[in-house]
Amino acid sequence: MAAGTIEPKIQYKEISCQSCGANLLVEPQMLTAICPYCASPSIIQRPPSENLPTPAFTIGFVVTQDRAIEAVSNWISRSSVFAKSAFRKAAPELTRGVYLPAYLYNAVANSDYRADIGENYTETETYTTTDSNGKTVTRTRTVVKTEWRTLHGQHCCYILDVVVTASKGVTNEALEAVEPFDLRVLRRFSPAMISGWLAEEPSRTQDECFRFAHGEAVDKVGRQLKGFMPGDSYRNLQYETDVARESIDLVLFPIWSFAVRYDESKPPLQILVNGQTGRVGGKVPISPVKVSIAIVLVLLILVVGALLFGMVR
Amino acid sequence: MNDSNSDTLTSEQQQEDCSACGTPLERGDLRCAICGKSAPTRRNEVAATEVVKILRCTGCGAAIAYDPKKQAPSCSFCESVMEIETLEDPMEQTGGYLPFSVTPDEARAQLQKWLATLGWFRPSDLSTTARVQELKPLWWVAWVFDADAIVSWAADSNHGSRRSAWAPHAGTATVVFDDILASASRGLAASEVDVLTRGYDLYSARPNPQGADGATIEQFDVQRSHARKQVAQALEQMARQRVQQNEIPGTKFRKLQVSLVLQNLVTRRLSFPAYVMAYRYKGQLYRLVISGQDKTLLTGNAPYSQAKIAIVTLGVVGLLAIIVLLIGIAQ
Repeated sequence: MAAGTIEPKIQYKEISCQSCGANLLVEPQMLTAICPYCASPSIIQRPPSENLPTPAFTIGFVVTQDRAIEAVSNWISRSSVFAKSAFRKAAPELTRGVYLPAYLYNAVANSDYRADIGENYTETETYTTTDSNGKTVTRTRTVVKTEWRTLHGQHCCYILDVVVTASKGVTNEALEAVEPFDLRVLRRFSPAMISGWLAEEPSRTQDECFRFAHGEAVDKVGRQLKGFMPGDSYRNLQYETDVARESIDLVLFPIWSFAVRYDESKPPLQILVNGQTGRVGGKVPISPVKVSIAIVLVLLILVVGALLFGMVR
Repeated sequence: MNDSNSDTLTSEQQQEDCSACGTPLERGDLRCAICGKSAPTRRNEVAATEVVKILRCTGCGAAIAYDPKKQAPSCSFCESVMEIETLEDPMEQTGGYLPFSVTPDEARAQLQKWLATLGWFRPSDLSTTARVQELKPLWWVAWVFDADAIVSWAADSNHGSRRSAWAPHAGTATVVFDDILASASRGLAASEVDVLTRGYDLYSARPNPQGADGATIEQFDVQRSHARKQVAQALEQMARQRVQQNEIPGTKFRKLQVSLVLQNLVTRRLSFPAYVMAYRYKGQLYRLVISGQDKTLLTGNAPYSQAKIAIVTLGVVGLLAIIVLLIGIAQ
């Protein structure tokens, strides 16, 4: 090999600061930039395209940077005793507050379902047994039996406010960990809302997010149907859902993003803070050593207990 | 007050309907309250070509950045805050008043008549000694809604049951809600509202209160988002009732589940006339409510005569004792 492998070239956007005239290189997925020379907050507005719509709504930051840092420190110190010690001691590194693109999905679901519904009834039956004197006697008892019937039906409902991340940097699980957002204070997107903050362009296509949201919707219907079933029990619930009146809007959600580096050999761990409610979410690394020690300890206590018990007897 | 009413009326005329479900969007709605579909955007925000800009304060020309403490974009030098279009959540306002057609005198006469016809168990001096403490005209508030609903339901019913007492049933029904009233009143109890709602002429609503002087005008004391929850609950309750009455076969049912989807939900907010009369009998306060548009619709509570009840009870017990004795003697 001659030279090192050529890294794929990132198509930086080149903008010039409207305040001091400096030329800035901006990562292609960013909607905003802050000039390093004069600290002026620039906003990049682009015409909407099919897979890159203009954000429809924004939720503004409520949690300040200080509060976010405090929330994360508290969260780390309160994390499980099985967490790796290095993690509990690590200092979180703040990356800035970012407006995360996500799609807000709403729809109406019409489902056809089929299930076996169990209706209980009681029956008195006679049985023979031996009583305390060793004689064979006949007695009666009531038993609960279930009668199964097939039920076909329809179910219609709203599926409201399914949130699907549109950023490749944040998975749906990570976003779910800091949800919910209070959607009542939704604001119509305006460039002034993101001025001075990082704001990302969606890096997942709208189609991809749409399909995911659709899947979530069908799962939601499944959960609702379970509560919809009459009878004392049910089994073999099958359903087919037709989703109509689907709508999808791009929303920018406020997120404080932290990175925790607790091990040189591992990539830093992502911790998110809901910029509206202050809720913290992240995956705590569990220490296998601590878990094994705990298991061994419990086993030891059990063995000692059993031994003591045996000696007493 | 008069001006603000005419304002709400004109703004309601300008409103648009949700493109998905036909429910009218109200002023300040960014999304449909029923199905969540976003309201059409104002076109002026959308850029035609890619532009880079710095938003500047109109006061001092400094750059504007979003401030989480103020929860709005603001200028860091002169502290001025930029207005941003938000999802409004205003307090509900009445859209019209139904006029009184029953006069206070008619209402008072009706009260005396009602007291006289209560029956024998009431104290005999009730209609003469009950002091009409207060006769208050009142406009109470309620939502009136129209909607088409597709209601899917599932329940157990005794119809078609075999060994078990229950059999599962399911179905879908189209229910048209027409002028359904859901009370928002704090003053009136649900049972009182049930009686009153039968006799109002909803099309007589006027923009201003008319027909009674010194009336108490009840206000909606909930915000729009909360109101919508209450309306949705009322709709589900209504759907449930319709399904119970018209859909479930058999004579008994249990475990009724209802799920509905709405089309063209129109909600109006109206104030309804009523007379509330409090009267005192032997120190106890009793209340009677009469509709302001139909004096035959009245509901209330009245005292029972303890003495009369005691006498009758004793009489019945005595009679039974005598019968038992007689039977004993005869045998």
